[in-house]
Amino acid sequence: MSYRPKILAAPLFVVSLIVLATHASFVQAASAPYPRRIVSLAPSVTETLFTLGFGNRIVGVTTYCDYPAEARKLPKIGGFTNPSLEAIVGQRPDLVIGVNESSHPVKVREMERLGIKVALISVTSLNDILNSIQSIARWLGNPEAGEKLAQKIARQIDAVKKRVAPAPRRATLLAVGIKPLVAVGGKNFIDELITLAGGENIAGQAAQPWLNLPDEYVIAKAPRVIIEAGMGAEREQSAKRWQDLKSIPAVQEQRVYYYRSDKILRPGPRIGEGLEEIARLVHPECFAESQRGLNPGSGCEGPRP
Amino acid sequence: MKVLDRKKMIWVNGALLILLALSVIACALLGPVRLDLARAWQNIFAANPDAEILFRARLPRVLLGVAIGGGMAACGVVLQALLGNPLACPQMLGVSGGASLGGILGLIFFPHWLLPIAGGLLGEISWVPLAAFLGALLSMIFVYRFSLFHGRLHPYHLLLSGVIFNAFIAAVIMFLNSIVDFYQAQGLLFWLMGSLSTRAYLTVAFIWAYIIIGFLWLWAKGLSLNLITVGEEAAMQLGVETAALQRQIFVASSLMIGAMVSVSGMIGFVGLMVPHVMRLIVGGDHRLLLPASFLAGGIFLCWADTLARVLLAPAELPVGIVTAFFGGPFFLYLLYREGGKKPAL
Amino acid sequence: MNPSILIRNLSFAYQDRSVLHGVSLSVEKGEMAGILGPNGSGKTTFIKILSAVLSGQGEVTLNGRSIETYGRGELSRLIAVVPQESRLNFPYTAAEIVLMGRAGHHGPFALEGKKDLEIARASMESTDSLSFSDRYLHELSGGEKQRVLIARALAQEPEILLLDEPSAFLDLKHQLHVFELLRRLNRERGLTIVAALHDLNLAALFFPRLVMLREGKIYRDGPPQDVLTEKTIDEVYGIRVRVERDPSGEKPQLFICPSL
Repeated sequence: MSYRPKILAAPLFVVSLIVLATHASFVQAASAPYPRRIVSLAPSVTETLFTLGFGNRIVGVTTYCDYPAEARKLPKIGGFTNPSLEAIVGQRPDLVIGVNESSHPVKVREMERLGIKVALISVTSLNDILNSIQSIARWLGNPEAGEKLAQKIARQIDAVKKRVAPAPRRATLLAVGIKPLVAVGGKNFIDELITLAGGENIAGQAAQPWLNLPDEYVIAKAPRVIIEAGMGAEREQSAKRWQDLKSIPAVQEQRVYYYRSDKILRPGPRIGEGLEEIARLVHPECFAESQRGLNPGSGCEGPRP
Repeated sequence: MKVLDRKKMIWVNGALLILLALSVIACALLGPVRLDLARAWQNIFAANPDAEILFRARLPRVLLGVAIGGGMAACGVVLQALLGNPLACPQMLGVSGGASLGGILGLIFFPHWLLPIAGGLLGEISWVPLAAFLGALLSMIFVYRFSLFHGRLHPYHLLLSGVIFNAFIAAVIMFLNSIVDFYQAQGLLFWLMGSLSTRAYLTVAFIWAYIIIGFLWLWAKGLSLNLITVGEEAAMQLGVETAALQRQIFVASSLMIGAMVSVSGMIGFVGLMVPHVMRLIVGGDHRLLLPASFLAGGIFLCWADTLARVLLAPAELPVGIVTAFFGGPFFLYLLYREGGKKPAL
Repeated sequence: MNPSILIRNLSFAYQDRSVLHGVSLSVEKGEMAGILGPNGSGKTTFIKILSAVLSGQGEVTLNGRSIETYGRGELSRLIAVVPQESRLNFPYTAAEIVLMGRAGHHGPFALEGKKDLEIARASMESTDSLSFSDRYLHELSGGEKQRVLIARALAQEPEILLLDEPSAFLDLKHQLHVFELLRRLNRERGLTIVAALHDLNLAALFFPRLVMLREGKIYRDGPPQDVLTEKTIDEVYGIRVRVERDPSGEKPQLFICPSL
């Protein structure tokens, strides 16, 4: 019978089509992967990626990405404000992660035009930072890691909040530049950190995140704590520099500190640690270890602000 | 015949001197922060915030502003004479660019080095302003060398060398700007836009002495400056040793500008605007124009600094931005007036 | 005889272009000499060398002393120059310009005194420029400017007056005025005058001695009737003229004969 092979062929054809279709979608599902080649445009993003366990997927970082140590060995794609488009393209990334506040919109558009996927996170407020950590985790396929990290940081923040809660607020100056004097202003996460550490940022009501402060303003605001962070600060010189302004309580009480760490300056996973370190400077009496022998929290409720 | 006589000298300079004194007092009392004058005087030497605001935060910078404003204006006057160009200003010599570059390099590579003065007795100064002054000296030598032809500094060559040198320095500074981090960039801004922020009376005193000596020396050349502005040949024929005068003025003003920029960064437009305005008011005779511009420059910068402190309080603007803000419209006004009766150029 | 100006074998070259070759002449005190020659013959260069603006090779002696021994201040009290034009970038009044001529007399640290003002005023009067003494120089006409510059030169109280084409921008009335003034200054004050001139006829009328330069060398030196001949004009200027006498009968006057 010559028709038998044709009748068999049709269902065979249909079956193979079905197998092919499901196989294809199976293959497609497996190859809609999370990004495996990531370029980071900011040190905070690099730190976040490493902390979330995605360090092995990073193929390009900025020259300022120095934490953790492994980050220094990664290929460089340029600076913080001027990454090199060619270097980025050369790494063939699946995803480029940058920071909203410092990414050049023109560069971002150029990357997108070249078919590169760019994601920007916002790091203006602490909330933004926590959200961005979770976003990054989601984009890379491990949302649980993101939630865990965010919660850990939130716990660190809460712990500090509780510690300094009984103490009255202390007027604080956080200087990130020395000559000229550049202070942390308002509407940014560092200002929030100062507040959480039990301090009152003397330049906190300013609209700008950074500003040059004239000396007379500092004298008038009479901070009880002065913290010099950032460039230009140096351990021996911090206290000496303010010596002649004895009316400032921070100078009188010898609370001019030198703090050289990026933990509070980078909107990354270490801000919780940074917050605690700052809080120890603002309210040393609220941290038991600094009160040799006294009960924890006993010196914390001081009468004077 | 209306000519410059002793009476006019005394009246004009006297009036400006009084205005200057009043400005110093006013600017020391004004600021973004309210000052309780009574409390300030009560206890000057104790830890008194009002006294500290007045005497430690404000007064040094007001006094510095007077010196630098005066110095820049005086240099502007003599440079306009030297280059035969009423649009000349201290920036054109290239010295300020070199000083800025020196300061920026110092800021990037050795911001913490200190040099003890008098074996540490008078304190220490940072190496950064010294680096700036060194930059100024090197630029001066460089521009001088490229403008010297047959023992004479030709205004044309001076102008050209200075402008080209400045352009090159600007490129280097922009390059540095693109590779420094955020915090260093703030320091760069200081050098490019200037700031009178200082609490060191020693620095202020030093600059004052330096600038007063320079200014007096230049003032003595007032008559020769008159002659040189009617033409190099005419000046020679009227008795001026022009070659020597050109060299001396170049060196003197370069040294002054170098010192000023080393201390307060590049504050522009004072050296351009003040001589022009004063020329309109007191005439072109340099024997009066120099002291008048010196005093007027001090008054101007003193108020510019007050504005810089007050306009965007609590933030402080670089004072060079305030002077530039006046400079732009002023230029347009000058161009507009060119067709007017009384000559502005 | 102590000549005011004694020049021996003066040569000058601008880079590789030679302008003056071995020029020698002497000018007595109180003499009035006109330097003639076409453009590029070295007239202006000659004036500049005499006033020490340029320095050439050869001897230039003033009042018995080499010009190099004079300081500029001293020289400005001896020689005054009226340039061809003055381009100013800065605003000065006519009076201020004239007073600059007194700089060599009152020194760098003093303001002008009464004597200076008087001399300036007198100078401006003699050049008929006192009426606009308080106007700015750049507001004046070419002729008015020229009179101010002459007044400035006079204010220097020089022994020798050098002029570089003083009638270049003047109308006929003022050209005459200037030349008559020069003659008066020469006769009344005994001023030695050396002027580079381009108007041959006026030169002939007012200057008792003419020096004709050709390609950097002296072609002829003497009274006008000897220097301004048809042959000389043809050889130096390359144009044909007819020489007649002026109404007084003494001075030669040229009539140009155009070829068309």
